[in-house]
Amino acid sequence: MQTSTGLRSDIRALAAIFSKGLKHHLRYPGEFLLFLLLPFLFTFLILGMGTAVAGANAASYFAIRTGTTNIVIYEILGGAVWMISWLVVEDVGTAIRDEQIKGTLEQNFLAPVRRFTLLVGLSLTDVVITSLLFLVVVGVSVAVVMPGSILTIIPAFLALLLGLIPLFGIGFLFAGFVVRFKEPYIFTQIVSLVFATLTGTYYPVTFLPYWIQLLSGALPQTYVIEDMRRIVIANQTLVNLYGSLFVLLALALVYPVLGYAVFRRIERRAGVTGEFSKY
Amino acid sequence: MFRKVPKSVVAVAGVDFTVPKGEIFGLLGPNGAGKTTTIKMLCTLITPSGGDAFINGFSITKDQQKVRENLGVMLTGERTLYWKLTGRENLEYFAALYHLDSVSAKKRIWDLLKLVGLDEREDTLVENYSTGMRIRLSFAKALLNDAPVLLFDEPTASLDPQSSHLIRDIIRDLKREGHAIILTTHNMEEADLLSDRVAIIDHGRIVTLGSPSELKQKVKSSDIIEIEARNLVEQTANALQSYSEVSKVAMITSPHPGETEVLRVHVEKGKEVLPRILEFLVRKQVTITKVTFIEPTLEDVFIAETGRSLRD
Repeated sequence: MQTSTGLRSDIRALAAIFSKGLKHHLRYPGEFLLFLLLPFLFTFLILGMGTAVAGANAASYFAIRTGTTNIVIYEILGGAVWMISWLVVEDVGTAIRDEQIKGTLEQNFLAPVRRFTLLVGLSLTDVVITSLLFLVVVGVSVAVVMPGSILTIIPAFLALLLGLIPLFGIGFLFAGFVVRFKEPYIFTQIVSLVFATLTGTYYPVTFLPYWIQLLSGALPQTYVIEDMRRIVIANQTLVNLYGSLFVLLALALVYPVLGYAVFRRIERRAGVTGEFSKY
Repeated sequence: MFRKVPKSVVAVAGVDFTVPKGEIFGLLGPNGAGKTTTIKMLCTLITPSGGDAFINGFSITKDQQKVRENLGVMLTGERTLYWKLTGRENLEYFAALYHLDSVSAKKRIWDLLKLVGLDEREDTLVENYSTGMRIRLSFAKALLNDAPVLLFDEPTASLDPQSSHLIRDIIRDLKREGHAIILTTHNMEEADLLSDRVAIIDHGRIVTLGSPSELKQKVKSSDIIEIEARNLVEQTANALQSYSEVSKVAMITSPHPGETEVLRVHVEKGKEVLPRILEFLVRKQVTITKVTFIEPTLEDVFIAETGRSLRD
């Protein structure tokens, strides 16, 4: 029988995992609606809270603190990045557990496909779908509020793609924790809410105490959100943002290696304890 | 956090066997004996805390990727497939994970669907399959990569007689093609019918190993009396051990309380001792419905080795 080898076999396996995930999503279509609505709903929530606190002066106070009066785009960009980072971490982190609950994890682990390919592949569908939803959410928002800047979503999206790589690394880390401790959604939801608090999702990071800002500096979303706002709202180019892009690149090199190393360590231990067969 | 050593339970110890090409090797034992743990170690899902095994020459502790390439595995249970995919989509997915190229995969999938009788239901979602169809699809999945070594964990569990027959026929054909096959079962008739050699496993250890006829020959020196009875309790059955001629007694527990129990008695000079055994049981208020002298089965081999029935 003819088999493919090396990179070709990995690509074919990734394509199959992606296709399987896509079919599953299309056969359970409800969550598309949730992901489309979530950034808008959170933005309205923030606008309502801001108006309740600062009244008619809310917009001007906001401009003083953030440098822009464009509250909707500011919040939509933050909310959309938060949504996608939540999904990446949750999907990578819980992919293993989801397969375990379905009863199919061991079937995947029996195959000679590499664990790295499997782990990335299992979350790839969600990431591609949410990236497309991100383009729709941000694209529609920019087209309505500031149509002249519609093309800026292209470099903004490129910055997001670079930021997704370290997020995969954080996802690998959580995949390990989920294998060890089960209860995936507790982990990923707490972490995602912490992300929203620390990364400037709805307010500038500079509002936070200095020592918390150090933590924010270790999270890729902080740079992605800031870069996207500069590109879309302040019309800056990727070249202007080389400093933060360089940091994102460094995080993209470190986090996946670190996260995958932790995952493999826990996975090996789970092999001895028979953890993968436990529900 | 990660250094804590979990409380250890020895699930399998001292399991040692070789399976050549073209042989069906049966692992027979009651539930919890260590059959599935052995299979899961052989297919790299569980890492042994000591020792090693080799699949087609590759170590399960050092060459796990190669081991997976050389294995086709069917684990027990029907939730081993994606229910929201069709039968064909499931096989396409796993074919890619086994690195089959798309042209080979297409032909192989069609051949396998035909082999297990699912060719006319290939585009039906697995959630709409019957249990038997799911198990047949799971069996087909194990054959996707045409591996030299095949592991089947309870391949006919939950199958109707017709499907069981089909799967057994395919397993025999695979043997003729030269595959080395290991199958676990707690069904002694299946082990007897299919296996060239059988290892009887209990409490994680192989208690005896040989061809079914060799193993049965070992217990032929005794007479085996099968007594069907009602109101029979374990205590009464065990009391039969006090007769010097009785070597082993095991109750084959009825799955439905209150129904007929089956008792196997291994005994010297059975015809002479039988009246005394029956008299003893009647005295204990046991209602005897049938008494038969039977030819030994693998169940009797298990009873002779462990003093318990396979269903204990």
